[in-house]
Amino acid sequence: MTCVRILISLLVCLVVATCGDSESAKRIDLSQREEVTVYRPENAITYAYLPQYAHTVSYERHHLVIDYLSQATGLTIRQVFPDTFDEHMHMVGRGLIDLTFSNPFIYTKIADRYGARAFARIVESQGQRDFRGQIICRADNTSIRAIADLKGKRLIAVDPTSAGGYLYPWGWILENGLRKEDFAEITFAPGPGGKQEKVVMAVYSGKYDVGLIREGTLDILTEKVDVKQIRVLAHSRWYPGWLYAARRGLDPAIVERIKQALFALDINNAEHRPILEKAGFIAVIPAGDDDFSSVRRLAQIVESGGNP
Amino acid sequence: MPEVLGNTGIMRFVTKLPFRTQINLGITAVVLIFAILSALFVSRIATNAMLGEIKRRGLSLGLSLAGRIADPMLALDFLRLKNMVDEVIESSDDIVYAFVQEKNGQILSHTFRAGFPVQLKDANQVPLGAQQHIQLLDIGDGDIENQERVYDFAIPVTISQERLGTVRVGLSQIKAQAAVHRLLFIIFSVSLGAGLVAVVLGSVYARTVTRRLDILRKSAEEMIKGNLEVQTGPVLLQNCWEIKDCSEDHCPAYGDKHHRCWTLPGTLCADCAPGDYQEKIEGCRNCGIFREIAGDEIQSLAEAFDVMALSLNRNIAELKETERSLTLQQRLLKTVLDATPDLVSLQDDRLVYHAVNPAFCQFFSLQDTDILGKAARDIFPPSEADGHETEDLQIIRSGVPISREILVSQDHRQRWLHLVKVPVYDEERVVWILCTARDITDIKQYQEKLVHSARMTQLGQLAGGVAHEINTPLGIILGYTQMLLEDLIQDSESHEYLQIIEKQTQICRRIVADLLGFSRQMESRMEEVDLNRSITDVLQLVRHPFKQNWIDIEESLDSKIPPIIGDPEKLKQVWINLLNNASDAIGQDGTIWVQTKLCPQGRRVLVSVADNGSGIAPEDMKKLFEPFFTTKAPGAGTGLGLSVSMGIVQGHQGKIAALSPAPAQFFGQAATTRNPHGPGAVFLVELPLSSEGQDDDSCDEIWQDHTPV
Repeated sequence: MTCVRILISLLVCLVVATCGDSESAKRIDLSQREEVTVYRPENAITYAYLPQYAHTVSYERHHLVIDYLSQATGLTIRQVFPDTFDEHMHMVGRGLIDLTFSNPFIYTKIADRYGARAFARIVESQGQRDFRGQIICRADNTSIRAIADLKGKRLIAVDPTSAGGYLYPWGWILENGLRKEDFAEITFAPGPGGKQEKVVMAVYSGKYDVGLIREGTLDILTEKVDVKQIRVLAHSRWYPGWLYAARRGLDPAIVERIKQALFALDINNAEHRPILEKAGFIAVIPAGDDDFSSVRRLAQIVESGGNP
Repeated sequence: MPEVLGNTGIMRFVTKLPFRTQINLGITAVVLIFAILSALFVSRIATNAMLGEIKRRGLSLGLSLAGRIADPMLALDFLRLKNMVDEVIESSDDIVYAFVQEKNGQILSHTFRAGFPVQLKDANQVPLGAQQHIQLLDIGDGDIENQERVYDFAIPVTISQERLGTVRVGLSQIKAQAAVHRLLFIIFSVSLGAGLVAVVLGSVYARTVTRRLDILRKSAEEMIKGNLEVQTGPVLLQNCWEIKDCSEDHCPAYGDKHHRCWTLPGTLCADCAPGDYQEKIEGCRNCGIFREIAGDEIQSLAEAFDVMALSLNRNIAELKETERSLTLQQRLLKTVLDATPDLVSLQDDRLVYHAVNPAFCQFFSLQDTDILGKAARDIFPPSEADGHETEDLQIIRSGVPISREILVSQDHRQRWLHLVKVPVYDEERVVWILCTARDITDIKQYQEKLVHSARMTQLGQLAGGVAHEINTPLGIILGYTQMLLEDLIQDSESHEYLQIIEKQTQICRRIVADLLGFSRQMESRMEEVDLNRSITDVLQLVRHPFKQNWIDIEESLDSKIPPIIGDPEKLKQVWINLLNNASDAIGQDGTIWVQTKLCPQGRRVLVSVADNGSGIAPEDMKKLFEPFFTTKAPGAGTGLGLSVSMGIVQGHQGKIAALSPAPAQFFGQAATTRNPHGPGAVFLVELPLSSEGQDDDSCDEIWQDHTPV
């Protein structure tokens, strides 16, 4: 009898437990509709970071700078995200980008093609005003000990318009006597954004023997790959670093306000420090178009001497 | 518990069902209950798990979209945004919608056609710091029939902890629940199927068990009917001699496919312990054969049942044998008790009779039913019973047996009984008294005869001694008397007196001679004797005086009789005694027949002296040869004649006997022509031809009915 009671109790418990507990639902009337207005960009200064990394990285690095500039200048500044270097250059040319943060190679192109003018340059995190490219290979690739060993190898670079990721190291390779024909394959990182990382990943995976990247890229990737597996074969010469340029026709007063605001950034300022650390530089200093003559010359050498 | 079960009607009903049905019902009930419970329980868990999984899937879709959508959001790539939200909705039927908002709520892209639902925009807000938020939305038209619910997943799009916007994904609860219902259907179907399979398997199992139990039941019924030749255990598929490749074909287990080797006594395997099942089984449990061919509990039970039947059969056979033996012993004992002339009885300690034999019953002229179960005082007169009771109680108290002779009267005759009462012990207590009584009347008579015979012997010796001493003075008296008679004148008075003295002296000498003969103190002179001649000499002497009393003598002598070794004078004395006795029995006018014949073996001779006189009274027959026994008038005989004759015949290793009336074979031809005087008598004397080479059985036909002396 006791067993029967226990069984019945168990059954009742299970049935009660099984009966669903109904969740409360919020009533929504889907019949009330509205047409979503097409995105209307407000009348703002557009700010673009040359897309050498993914858009999210670009956003992450520069949205605090933009917020600072907006706050410091009282201007409405909005970050835009071109997918490629070419798009970036074209947008500068078409006036869609007012302020461009670019590498010197691209700057020489947009300056020469679209009349953009540099007004400031950055000081790198280690305090250098210049930067350079790196030629990398896998650490365990014993067949590559020097530049000369690159013959017959497969090479990947960031982009034909990349300074640190192509122009500077490729110029160094040319200076060391190698030519395009000496390589089994020369290619560039595919797709939009994140191209520096893609070159590292291509060499890391073994798909390519040698890669050309900007110095500092490996530091960004320490969390994603074991950078000890990557060996830096050689460095390029030092060239001027990244710069701020204004499109042709931008109100000089606005340029001035922005320039001053940028120059006012101080790494020792507690408020400015996180802005500068996110952006990857420690100061912004004045610059002019002449500062980039060496780059312009290198570009000419590359384009004339063995431009792939 | 049994009382509780017994009190419930269901249990009463169930216990009346066949065992197989009970098992089937039990298995079905258990399986169904647990199938339902399991299905409910599992369905609940599965429902929750599935809803959780569905929610996780929706969340995963949203998170995936949020992770990928930052780039097109930043680039304001509306095509990619549209493609991405469309990909989400196309990835599954139960995704109702997907859209992406900027952090200010601005819709960047959505999957709705014909405008965006205004209320949906703020319907699910992600709290500050939260990773996601799920809100159940009712997006139906308000009709309960068309109720549609949606899980709305809101996932913030962040870059470096900076919220860029929000991704929203709507997942239909109804479609998700349809999947749950499909799962529940599968679970219940599987449970039901598993239940049915379990019931079928249970039924097969129950059939297997009950079939074997049924065999056991039938075997038990057969045993109750008395048939112990049952076979309950199954026929073995594996056998010990096959497994061990054994060739001991005279082992009791060899070739027996119906019994396991450990159930059979006397197996010859080296691993087997000697003895019966109970002695062997413990050792057999460690045997490889046991482990290999031992069955389950029911099979073991069936085999134990067979062993029990076998053992019972054997025990019953032994019991029957014992019973036969006991019956035989009982019959033998009864035969002994029935046949013994002794009176046997068995009394308990209350003196109640428990067993008596027929002799006992016959002696007291009672039936055993009159005696058994009763005490002596209930059966016998108080005067007899009291004495026995006192005696019996004394035996019970003392434990000392009693043996004595008693004289009792039976049918007006005095009988001597030798009574023995023996106590029978059970452990240390007397519980039975065994009483035996033997009729010793005849023995008593023999004892008296022996005493009498001893007395006679002593008397004979005394008389012989006296006669020997008197014989000499008598000879002197007679000599001097005869001398005086010669000297005296005849016819004188003195001469007449002396003649009287001589005559009486002669009588005394004859008496003395008889006494000497009786005491066998006369010397014997053994020589060859012509028996017929010896008889003829005597007949010549007596024929004349007998004739005076009209007594004739007829003889029939066997001429083939060879000479015998004997004392001629003593033999003649025997013939004279027998002829005198015959003459005395006739008195006057009679015939005496004398016959001699050679016994068939030719080693003994028989002499018969028959008369047709008055015969011998039966009561006198036994005393006939006793000394001094006579039926004659006092002074007419000394009573020593036959006694002396018997002594002489016995001295010749012969036998003597008397028959009366005399059988006709001893009478001659004249017996039929003459009127017999009386029943007559015949005296038979058988003598060996010589004292050596006797043959006792020579004339058996003569002595057949008459005991010789």
